Amino acid sequence: MEIYELWKPLVRSGEATGWQSFYVKFFQAFLENDRWRSYLDGVGTTLMVTAMALAIGVILGIIVAMIRTAHDQQRPGKKNLLLGLINAVSQVYVTVIRGTPMMVQLLIMGFVIFSSSRNYTLVGALTLGINSGAYVSEIIRGGLMALDPGQAEAGRSLGLNYIDTMRFIVIPQAFKAILPSLGNEFIILLKDTSLITVIGGKELVYAAQAIYGRTYEQMFPLLGIACVYLVLVIIFSYLVSLLERRLRQSDRR
Amino acid sequence: MIVVNNLCKSFGDHQVLKNISEHIYPGEKVVIIGPSGSGKSTFLRSLNLLEEPTSGSISFEGTVITDTKTDIDVIRRQMGMVFQHFNLFPNMTILKNITLAPVRTGLMTQKEAEEKAMHLLQRVGLESKANAYPNQLSGGQKQRIAIVRALAMNPKVMLFDEPTSALDPEMVGEVLSVMKELAADGMTMVVVTHEMGFAREVGSRVLFMDEGQILEQNTPEALFGNPQNPRLKDFLSKVL
Repeated sequence: MEIYELWKPLVRSGEATGWQSFYVKFFQAFLENDRWRSYLDGVGTTLMVTAMALAIGVILGIIVAMIRTAHDQQRPGKKNLLLGLINAVSQVYVTVIRGTPMMVQLLIMGFVIFSSSRNYTLVGALTLGINSGAYVSEIIRGGLMALDPGQAEAGRSLGLNYIDTMRFIVIPQAFKAILPSLGNEFIILLKDTSLITVIGGKELVYAAQAIYGRTYEQMFPLLGIACVYLVLVIIFSYLVSLLERRLRQSDRR
Repeated sequence: MIVVNNLCKSFGDHQVLKNISEHIYPGEKVVIIGPSGSGKSTFLRSLNLLEEPTSGSISFEGTVITDTKTDIDVIRRQMGMVFQHFNLFPNMTILKNITLAPVRTGLMTQKEAEEKAMHLLQRVGLESKANAYPNQLSGGQKQRIAIVRALAMNPKVMLFDEPTSALDPEMVGEVLSVMKELAADGMTMVVVTHEMGFAREVGSRVLFMDEGQILEQNTPEALFGNPQNPRLKDFLSKVL
């Protein structure tokens, strides 16, 4: 603290050495006025938004994937009209979400659909969740379709119904197969939370912007949050690989 | 037991089954032989509606199973099926593979199903593998487990779709001997196979299929000893 007060005038007057100005800028970016607290709040919001978007995305993704797979696997001559309708809705959803940029979706949700809402973070989480759901549904559908049809046939030939066959045989195996892609999607989601800044969501990037808006020194806040994202992603990847290893137990010979 | 009437099946423009009518009686061991692509597997898979017929009807013990109002799951519980590629569930132990269906369909409690499973595993000499996973077993062992899994449902008929075709030659014998025991116990069986020795020894009736039709059928002695149809003669000259 004393060192900071001592060296600050030197930086102003341009007399500071490289090391001295490094220290001052670092201090301003993270320590002055307890600024690390805003980063911490930002990380909290980022994680919360990720968790909420993840939950929405996974639930939406599972529902859409189930609808589309069930629709494609109907017995010929036993077509269900209602299922056909919700299948069409699901297809439109996936097409629209995948066909428009994330940023545009956020702006539309924030400034058009929920323009009267002041809870920007929540709107951001919702948008991310809806966006992620489209991608997750395609990942899940891919996993369900890639599984050997003989597995489902074996289940059905034993007299298990469609739901039980999916629940005990198809989904557990498909889940194991798509885990790497799902992990990838979740990492993208975590980083995409940075975009909700554009509609005023108060996450990590927002914290950094607020700070360099006051100090006029961008390098440390931005490098700082880059490191935070990196660490979060590394932790996340580690957790996914742990899960993968556990699920692979039945593969051992 | 199973009555098939004017069964037709097409995949797109390709007609695989042409107007097949057949009757399978209780206790019979029907063996279906024929060249690849003759429709014999499709015919077998139609019997429990894994393939949906394009036209025609199939009934099982008086119930028309091709009727869309029939609950096919209830029918399938009485028809065991064994596949060429075993199709064991790799995410479960052997015991779970066997007990899943009887327990989930409400046929048995978990305890009953496990007792039944262990009893059946003993019969095929694999009781030590109860807690292993399918990937730890050889092909012959997997297929014996697949037979046990189907038997655990107490089926009235067993359908075999080329059960030995994916096996190493030295493992064919162990699977066939399980099937022979099953036949000796009086199980009704429909077997699609290329094992002519098995057809001759175990079959009570042999069907020869080619191009979606049953061209000739007879007792194994007559069919192998005195074939009539020229295509059957040609086929037998190649495989025997």
